[in-house]
Amino acid sequence: MAGIFSRQLFKRATLTFSLLGVSCGVCAGEKSYPINPIEVAKNTYFIEGARENFSTENGGAIANVAFINAGNHILVIDSGPSKRYGDQLFRLIKNQFGRPATDLLISHHHPDHALGTQAFAGISVWALPRTTELLRTEGGSFAENLYQLVGDWMRDTEISLPNREAKAGPLFPDTDRFELIALRGHTSSDLLLMDHQTRTLFTSDIVFYQRALATPHTPGLAVWRQDIERLKALDFDLLVPGHGPAVAKDIALAQMTDYLNWLNKLLSESATQGLTMNEVIRQPIPDRFSDIAMSRYELTRTVTHLYPTYEETLFSAK
Amino acid sequence: MNYRDTIRTCDSLCLTLLLSLLSSSVFADRPADPLGSPMWDYLAPKFIGQADYLFDDRVRIDAPDFAEDPTQVPITVDATAFAGDVSRIVAWTDLNPIQHIFTFYPHPEVIPKVSLRIRVQQGTPIRAAVQTSDGLWHVGYQEIDAQGGGCTAPTMATTNPYWERHLGEIESAQFTRATGNRYRFKVIHPMDTGLVNAIPEFYIENLEIRDAKGDSKARMELSPPISENPVFTFEFNNKNSKYRLWMRDNGGNIFEAAL
Repeated sequence: MAGIFSRQLFKRATLTFSLLGVSCGVCAGEKSYPINPIEVAKNTYFIEGARENFSTENGGAIANVAFINAGNHILVIDSGPSKRYGDQLFRLIKNQFGRPATDLLISHHHPDHALGTQAFAGISVWALPRTTELLRTEGGSFAENLYQLVGDWMRDTEISLPNREAKAGPLFPDTDRFELIALRGHTSSDLLLMDHQTRTLFTSDIVFYQRALATPHTPGLAVWRQDIERLKALDFDLLVPGHGPAVAKDIALAQMTDYLNWLNKLLSESATQGLTMNEVIRQPIPDRFSDIAMSRYELTRTVTHLYPTYEETLFSAK
Repeated sequence: MNYRDTIRTCDSLCLTLLLSLLSSSVFADRPADPLGSPMWDYLAPKFIGQADYLFDDRVRIDAPDFAEDPTQVPITVDATAFAGDVSRIVAWTDLNPIQHIFTFYPHPEVIPKVSLRIRVQQGTPIRAAVQTSDGLWHVGYQEIDAQGGGCTAPTMATTNPYWERHLGEIESAQFTRATGNRYRFKVIHPMDTGLVNAIPEFYIENLEIRDAKGDSKARMELSPPISENPVFTFEFNNKNSKYRLWMRDNGGNIFEAAL
């Protein structure tokens, strides 16, 4: 039961060892991420992040990353959680294709997607202007936070800002193959990529599949649901989500709609019944979501983020 | 055994005897903290004095396992198991710079249970000690993990002047429950801890719920770890009474509203 105290002791012990590690150099061996890209469409590679929370075991590699060899361009979607991850990804792509990546897309400003950018210095790094602004203002504290959560994996990680402004529409002037889509549901600044040639949509965190969605910066579940409706109207076959496996379009979008509707209903009915935050956090999660990882954990977070807004509606309705 | 050895043996024997006497008289029947917190022996006398206590899982504290937002951590302290027999409930955190959260004096019409949101500065045990009419304290506890910074983070009021025009505004809602009526209310107040730069302590100190005749049915003494723009939830087993809320902050401002 002495959880907190033993954990704090553990943290202190880890700190002592890592301080020793600085003088000891490589004697403990460098950690490396298990990055195993799978080809999900022609010349299109997908690396699935762990369907977990940040931990010292996974080193923060919980988000998906993808890359496409399109001839003139080698395009990378998101850079991972740390400099170390970015370095590994950069080398892997260079070894695989005999030349380095040319373009990196940062889908949004969250640390699991954007902190490996440092390794891609000198190439085009694309992001929506608000994403770049959010990285400028919040990136430092995200990195600090991630250091606390995953430890040494983050060593030497610094914020590296995007250098190209992404806009909705064709990414490159010389081809219609790649189309950028700007949405808002996850962070208010979410960049998606459609590859019309392979009929693949890279949704980033607008879609979570088999991993519960995270809400810390959502402008609201209603906005998010509208985004999903918009994606349903698009013409593509394969969907690469921000978390969870790549899957046929309809399956992932149906799960998102179902989950968002359930969350919205839970929060609004709970507010109407006068439930407290803790009572909402303990509400049952429907059996049909039992395969979705991290749903209880994310519900706890979502209640903190969104329940006050639902309570407010009720208070002011009086 | 020579003379000196005999003396030494006597010394250590006496010392052992003395120690065992001391520990049996001073520390008798004072259970050790199951959480092994370094703060227990310091804070328990501060909040519950030298009275007898026991750790009792009938005092329930509900809180999330971790603080997603260390400035708004929802907690529920539930002493329903002792309904009708509670003289007061004291709640505190071991590892906050300001440990006291509240002291609650529930009238028998009030279900001895309250929900609110607090700030935590780091991972900490949360304690609630319930004193029953026999004088005995029943102590419940819960641990919460946190990245930290809740008490020393600037309030929203620091950057948003909204509170100045709306200070003390109360919004409330009433709900019918199987056990009675539930009242939830929110007050606009910065609840400044005094730990942020040059911003002095400014917080609601006293809260009372009174019936139509003005008699106090629930009284609370509050401390700054309670979150900005506090939201409280109370339950009454009397479904028919009308209640009024009365609050006073440490600046002498009084806020009142019908619930």
